[in-house]
Amino acid sequence: MDRKRPEKKSILIGKGANRLRRFLNFLAESSLFIATSVSMLAVLFIILFIARDALPFFKLRGIGEFFTSIHWFPAGHPPEFGALAIIFGSLVVTVCSALLAVPLAIFSAVSLSDILPFSVRQVVKPVVEIIAAIPSVAYGFFALVVFAPLLQRSGGHLLGLGIWLVGLPVSLVTSYIAGGLLADKLRPNPPAWLRLGLIAILEVVFIVLIYRLYTAVDKIQIPSGTNAFNVSVILAIMSLPTIVSVAEDALQAVGREMREGSYALGATRAETVTKVVIPAARSGIIAAIILGVMRALGETMVVWMASGNAAQVPQPWYNIFAPIRTLTATIAGDMGEADQVTGSARYHVLFAMALFLLIFSFISNLVSEWILFRSRKKWGQ
Amino acid sequence: MKRQTRKVLDRSFTGLGFFSIFFLAASLVVVLAPIFARGINAFIFKGTSEFRRLNYEEFGRGDKQKLAEEMDKIRLYREPLARMLKDFTRQVRDESFPGSTQYAGDVKVLNDLFKMLLGPGESEPVMMRARYGQTRWDGAQKVLQSILYKEEWDYSKAGKMGKKILKPRSEIYKGTSLEKFFPEMEKNLDKLLLPRLTFYWQFLTDSSRDSHFFGGIGAEVLGTFYLVLLTMVFAIPLGVIAAIYLAEFAHQGKIVSLLRVFISTLSGVPSIVFGLFGLAFFINTVKVSQSKSVLAGSLTLALVVLPTIIRAAEEAIKAVPNAYKEAALSLGASKFRTVMSIILPSALPGILTGIVISMGRAAGETAPIIFTAAVSVGKPLTLIETLTQPSPALSWNIYNLVTEHEAVEQIRHVQFGMVFTLVLLVLVLNLGAILLRARIAKKLRG
Repeated sequence: MDRKRPEKKSILIGKGANRLRRFLNFLAESSLFIATSVSMLAVLFIILFIARDALPFFKLRGIGEFFTSIHWFPAGHPPEFGALAIIFGSLVVTVCSALLAVPLAIFSAVSLSDILPFSVRQVVKPVVEIIAAIPSVAYGFFALVVFAPLLQRSGGHLLGLGIWLVGLPVSLVTSYIAGGLLADKLRPNPPAWLRLGLIAILEVVFIVLIYRLYTAVDKIQIPSGTNAFNVSVILAIMSLPTIVSVAEDALQAVGREMREGSYALGATRAETVTKVVIPAARSGIIAAIILGVMRALGETMVVWMASGNAAQVPQPWYNIFAPIRTLTATIAGDMGEADQVTGSARYHVLFAMALFLLIFSFISNLVSEWILFRSRKKWGQ
Repeated sequence: MKRQTRKVLDRSFTGLGFFSIFFLAASLVVVLAPIFARGINAFIFKGTSEFRRLNYEEFGRGDKQKLAEEMDKIRLYREPLARMLKDFTRQVRDESFPGSTQYAGDVKVLNDLFKMLLGPGESEPVMMRARYGQTRWDGAQKVLQSILYKEEWDYSKAGKMGKKILKPRSEIYKGTSLEKFFPEMEKNLDKLLLPRLTFYWQFLTDSSRDSHFFGGIGAEVLGTFYLVLLTMVFAIPLGVIAAIYLAEFAHQGKIVSLLRVFISTLSGVPSIVFGLFGLAFFINTVKVSQSKSVLAGSLTLALVVLPTIIRAAEEAIKAVPNAYKEAALSLGASKFRTVMSIILPSALPGILTGIVISMGRAAGETAPIIFTAAVSVGKPLTLIETLTQPSPALSWNIYNLVTEHEAVEQIRHVQFGMVFTLVLLVLVLNLGAILLRARIAKKLRG
């Protein structure tokens, strides 16, 4: 058959056609770029529009009142817009949830990267994903309908149970180790009875201490189940998946060589993890914590439903069983009453709160992003 | 440190690791268990004769003949009791009756409870919730308890909270003609209401009657469906295009890393801020609709899920082996052709994973739709109406029903059913994504 015809067509392209093709390519690529920059535009527009509606508030009322007063009476005569108590509420909930979530999440991440066998890991990872996937309103529902009545009815017992659950294993380990060390101190080569005796004595002391703590806690009566503690627990669960997955990535990135080096020197797994792997992955873990904390700070539905929504600084301020109110819940709850057509201070103050949240989340996001970027560079990825 | 001690430390470290994983899984179970256990109750429960009457009169389901027969059977038991109560009420109204003042108030309560349990009888109340008795057996038993026992509060101990005392009514009414009424009620409750195990799958499709006292969650399910659908219409093309650009076309430089920073920033914006932005931008400035609408909500939600889709799609595209691409290019295909016919099809499962996960996210998000799309009460919409009208949605109505409904306790089963539906939907979507990913991993391993 004639072989020449296809060759002629496919290889020799006219100059005009080439130019057209290049132009089309350019056009297509720039339209792709425009579609990609929607996210960028969205971020810029979010800042712009939130700020545009937030600034009138500061023009109307000044900056001082918002950040220094704890009197929040937007519907009063005259209205008062002191958001300090609300900002405090947000902080309390965020810090408490971080205190609960961070140790648990980091241990889980370590487990996933260094302890668990591969097959178990394959099961645990979906569990983490599902915790992240459950909608926040379902968590809020749980907090309000299941957890709050439980706290109100038997909060003290629940806390007491928690103390036994944590205290008993911790005391066993501590007394075992401390007993062993003490026996070594007393005699160079201690007989078994001395060691065991010391361990038993220490354990008894611990149990007495735990029991006293338990009886003190057991008496606590929680007047209202919708409070800062309830919300903190639920938010801790919700921020677990973020921290676990980011921290686990950071731990994995440390690499086999470092671990193998440490094992070769005779270190145990605990020593390898705490002295080699975690210090090496420190920046990634910090980024994970920041991201998790941000999730708790920005969460709306749970705090709106289960925090009690009382714009107050609890008495005393560290009383976590008192109802509080957060920024996100205030925005969600007050928008319905604020007059958005005339744009009163009551409307704009909510945007001011949003702006505050937004700036906070931007800064922490950028910081964590930068930390992750740096650590990625360090590990050459 | 001694070797022994180091060993123990190591063991306890391992134990702590296992403990935390156990705790993680336990917290998931603790949250899901009550939602599942009580949520199923909205679908499978013991329905009473009142339920079947409601189903026939409101939704046109069931057999008229059978229902009439059932009603006749019930009437045999109901009528003597109703007469007993009626007679006694008449007696009490008469002031010469010895216990008139003592019983007057309580008899009124008793009459109300009786109607609440068995329905109004001959009269035709205006309020729909008064037109039917207890449709569910568990509800009926609760009402029976409050008929049998009078609730009283004991404030005798000063300075302490009042204590609830349940006083049996059969004792209160001892010696009157109503004495027999209470044991009869207790004994014959099942004959009065004829409970039967019902599988009410129409809970998902029926619209609610009288603000969720009766009926199902059809409008909410449909609203969530529309929201997810429209969100995906906006988010999928934008997300996939962005991913293609980032993975295949962009020259890795300052602009691209800036774009990436913005994408991750977008994913960090608190969800309530998205809601405010949707209100200020889509509704008040662009005016996509007069006020709240499904369209405005979907646009807002699309921004919420955009980073998720972009990330997943980019990962998937990057995972396509370079050899595929090079082979296509060497055959003379243009870059576009390569992307469309080689890269996208091989990356499709990975892209789908991201899409499915973000569908779950869009269905569950509440804060972005509070000001942009959600209303508490609304009719099921048609697809065209979603462009201009707000709709109820599962996520919003869960909030609304537990916090703002006038009779929160009485519609617990609806609330749990709604949460159950939403959680199940999200779980199914996520499990689908997990399975999809497992298949991809298997394929990549060979």
